[in-house]
Amino acid sequence: MTALQGSLPGTPQGSPRSARKSARNRRANLGYFLGFGAPGLLFYACFVFAPLVLSVGYSFTNADAFLPNTKFTGLHNYVKLLGDPDFRMQLRVTTILTLIIVIVPNVAGLAIAVLLNRNGRLYRALRTVFFVPVVLSSVVVSVVWQAMLTDGGLLDTVLGSMGVRHPPGWLSDPSIALYSVGSIASWQLLGFCTVVYLAGLQGVPDELLEAAAIDGAGRWTRFRRVTWPMLAPALTINTVMLLITGFKTYDYVQVITHGGPGTGTTATVAYGVIQTGFTENKTGLASAMAVLMLLIVAVVSSVVLRLLQRREVEL
Amino acid sequence: MTAVVEKTERTVREQSARRDESRAPWVRPLVALVVTAVFAVPLYLVVVNVFKPGGHITGSPASVPWPPTLGNLKAALDRPDNLYWDGLINSAEITTVSIVVLAVLSAMLGHYLARTRSRFARVTLLVLLAGLMVPPQVILVPVVRILRLTHLMATLTGMVAFNVGYYIPFGVFVFAGFIRSIPIELEEAAALDGAGRWRTFWTVVFPLLRPATASVLIFLGVWIWNDFLDPLIILGPVGGTTVTVGVYRALGEHQSNYGQLFGLMFLAALPVVVFYFLLQKHFVKGLTGGAVKG
Repeated sequence: MTALQGSLPGTPQGSPRSARKSARNRRANLGYFLGFGAPGLLFYACFVFAPLVLSVGYSFTNADAFLPNTKFTGLHNYVKLLGDPDFRMQLRVTTILTLIIVIVPNVAGLAIAVLLNRNGRLYRALRTVFFVPVVLSSVVVSVVWQAMLTDGGLLDTVLGSMGVRHPPGWLSDPSIALYSVGSIASWQLLGFCTVVYLAGLQGVPDELLEAAAIDGAGRWTRFRRVTWPMLAPALTINTVMLLITGFKTYDYVQVITHGGPGTGTTATVAYGVIQTGFTENKTGLASAMAVLMLLIVAVVSSVVLRLLQRREVEL
Repeated sequence: MTAVVEKTERTVREQSARRDESRAPWVRPLVALVVTAVFAVPLYLVVVNVFKPGGHITGSPASVPWPPTLGNLKAALDRPDNLYWDGLINSAEITTVSIVVLAVLSAMLGHYLARTRSRFARVTLLVLLAGLMVPPQVILVPVVRILRLTHLMATLTGMVAFNVGYYIPFGVFVFAGFIRSIPIELEEAAALDGAGRWRTFWTVVFPLLRPATASVLIFLGVWIWNDFLDPLIILGPVGGTTVTVGVYRALGEHQSNYGQLFGLMFLAALPVVVFYFLLQKHFVKGLTGGAVKG
């Protein structure tokens, strides 16, 4: 407002005195920016914004850590990727994994939140247990589950003592391993969903549920018509968080399966980007994969966010 | 009269709402206990097997470790390559410095963006928040080039600098939202009293941000401590290791020796888990602040 007044010379405010004042104001604003805004933005610019721009730039070149002259190759990397069976496989693996990760912790987390939505020391203690995996590193979670699921591992030992002779190869059978990875991720993320749903459940007024009960609504109807609509914001938060997390699944694959068993049966796009960029040193190609990955995450999550938020308003 | 009516009405309501439950009051606690027990099996396995001699782990993984042994923990602590202690020192240093710098810089940046009404500030906030969903894999290749260029590759300083840039969107997201809920009159009053922006911020505003600061410190502390890919790449094989990367490095050599691996894992996770149990309320509050507001 002050800046605008100072720039209108015809108005009374445009007197030399207020012009001086607005110049001082502008200097104060610049100082405010340099002192408060700039330091944080500098780090963001160097380590997120510039790398993003560079990734887009590299993706149009044949940049390679071992080749000295980098050339502009246009859309070559993208065309190559779209026809590459390995990359298509990674997209497929990532899609299946993301679907598991969006659905399983969401549904199980809600069920457990409803189950534990009671006061008292017992329920408080049980709620604490479900959140522990959330604060653990995914590397630790991976190692525990690998020790459990590997052939002849802890799970097979327990199953063997129960008389199961030939348990499936949880991590060694190419048709099962991906679902094992999805289960491990779901186990770790479940507690997050539970906590968010519990907060949502706490926001459902008792009077509303009682009123519905008096009107003869059974348990399921009360949940479906009263509780569930009020959980809409919690569903939005969980779904978007799980979507973004699922799409960048990397740690479990790197620690447990290395993309196997077989060729690429559990290799996600995130895993492919790191392999291509750091093991094969194909900077240009890895950047094109990264750009596609970011585009998919951005488009899918903003569409889902928009849909879920529209649903929140309608309910 | 009305009081009596209200009272009976309330009793009826409560009864009907809890009717299903009162028929079999033990069902819910029983189901809750069983479900939690199944969920906690992997956690149980870690805890019991840490205190079991190596040979017993594969033989009888689910048994209670009696008599308990501290051999696995000792083996993990006394590794000749000092993996645990080196990792612990690096993790502690990286995490502490990163979260302190992040809290200070994101509080100031959050203040600037929440209190400035210009197109520039609005666009900057959007660009910054978009950073919340950028997966590290998308930027790591150029990040490594930038770190090499500035000679920060494979150094703790480089690791901290990356953390600050990568996690600042989360800090700003928390602080900017919180600052908007603080009446600006407080700051104007301080300014009238002659305090400059800097002094106003640190003596009036920052103390009021304590809940937001707690959330930022706690969540970023856990994330950075647990971080795997970023330190794996940025510190590389020569820049040292964090406890989390250390567990991964030890994995290759201990396929058969679960004992020491479990010990190492337990020691790596212990600080975060203790931290969680001490500050549980803050974890839940920080997570659900957004969920309730919607």
